Amino acid sequence: MTEVTLYHWEPNANSGKPMLALMEKGVAFNSHYLDLLNFDQHKPDYLAINPQGTIPAMKHGNLILTESTAIMEYVDETFPGPKLMADDPLGRWRIRWWMKFMDQWLAPSFSMIGWSIFVGPAVRSKDPEELKAAIERIPLPERRVAWRKAIYGLFGGDELEESRRRVAVGIRMLEAALAKRAWLASDQYSLADANGFNLAYALPLSQPSLSNDELTPNIMRWLRAIYARPATKACWAMGRTSMVKRVTILEQPHIDRQPVA
Amino acid sequence: MSMTLYHGEPNGPSFTVLSSLFEKGLQADLVHIGLAEGARHELSCAQQPEVAMSVEGEGPVLLVDGEAMTDSVFIACYLDDVGSGAALRPSNPYGRWETMTWCRQMIERTAPAAALLGCNAHPPKINPAMLAKIGSADLRARWEMIGAGVFADDKLADSKAKIAAAVEKIEARLAGRNWLIGEFTIADLESYAWLAGMVKVVPEAFAGKRLIMAWMERIKARSAVGKALALARVADPAIYWAPGPEINRWG
Repeated sequence: MTEVTLYHWEPNANSGKPMLALMEKGVAFNSHYLDLLNFDQHKPDYLAINPQGTIPAMKHGNLILTESTAIMEYVDETFPGPKLMADDPLGRWRIRWWMKFMDQWLAPSFSMIGWSIFVGPAVRSKDPEELKAAIERIPLPERRVAWRKAIYGLFGGDELEESRRRVAVGIRMLEAALAKRAWLASDQYSLADANGFNLAYALPLSQPSLSNDELTPNIMRWLRAIYARPATKACWAMGRTSMVKRVTILEQPHIDRQPVA
Repeated sequence: MSMTLYHGEPNGPSFTVLSSLFEKGLQADLVHIGLAEGARHELSCAQQPEVAMSVEGEGPVLLVDGEAMTDSVFIACYLDDVGSGAALRPSNPYGRWETMTWCRQMIERTAPAAALLGCNAHPPKINPAMLAKIGSADLRARWEMIGAGVFADDKLADSKAKIAAAVEKIEARLAGRNWLIGEFTIADLESYAWLAGMVKVVPEAFAGKRLIMAWMERIKARSAVGKALALARVADPAIYWAPGPEINRWG
């Protein structure tokens, strides 16, 4: 079989999406780990693979693919193994709708909060000159803005408040959708679930007052069902940081409602 | 299967969906609604999450057997699956990846810029009663800013730069080929949908760009596209704008 190499960070957010899709399909791949917090994704070796300096990227033979959600669709169509898109066109539309909603509306809000709490503080202790040079090496202007905000703690109160509002709205929408169907967007496990798990696997830890077994039983059922899949276990075992180890919260049989902080 | 398409003037997302429908030889009940007056928020399906929270902003709605679908590129994929005309995506997975990736970049970077510039040049009008019906708080906020005529200079300048970047990208891509992905695809329709109205709004971006201008003519010359454009109720549908996707919040 033509060789597959995935350039990725942790099984989390965008990196985790193609990792999990490849695992579900049973595709063996070379794992090329990039340390996001060490700015590996903006170094010349990787820019030769993806000049935009975004992760993940996938090499399949001579083809190089970027954009995590589009890579997932490619993986599903290209390799044998269980189908991760619905059989019916309406189901495929619904899977794509939810993935876009998460990628472009909900995930940026989760990540703004995550970057302000985790990514920014994690890199802030580095040498200031080194950080300045690292920011200047970022190819996409919008990513330079994002990193500057995270590193120097420049997120405004209004921005963070809007992100928190969206997270609360998004959690209600996920709960309502999962009350209607076993899986997020169709009657079978799909790319939308793999995508959504990458976004939401730590919800009961990061949003304990909004997501728990009392308030969002369907989200909890869904997260536990995905975590129980062998592919998910194998994928999260590839994580190297404490951030992704948060997934073990899903091993608890019941998570009580937490008071609002 | 019965299909009803609620659409606006054939510009932006309504252009993509109407053209795809005709390219695929499909029939639907076509219902013209005033997207630029907020009429989508009066539909009986307006509060369904997939309509109320569509990332696309004010786009068309396709109703199929009771399910309301939004987001023009994905509706076009649906029509491509169910219709009988020539495929609107390549038959190989890599070509389909190219199409989806191209459209994603168009949706995420070009569409918000075009919608902002279009609404600045040709402001849509919504009445307060309609505004109150909008289910998405952030879409309502975009309407309020447009209604108040608030267009920040830095956002306008950034949007013009994004349109120029898209034009450059397309011009480079069309060297030696007629269509963006090699064969005619949804990527051509979606790119035309957002850029056709920008020729007059950001003329400097198109100056001397021979290939993109010829490509636009090729698209307009397609019979399905002609059918879509013929549904216009205004003299120039390319000046008809409504709030689109939001500009990326933080990179």
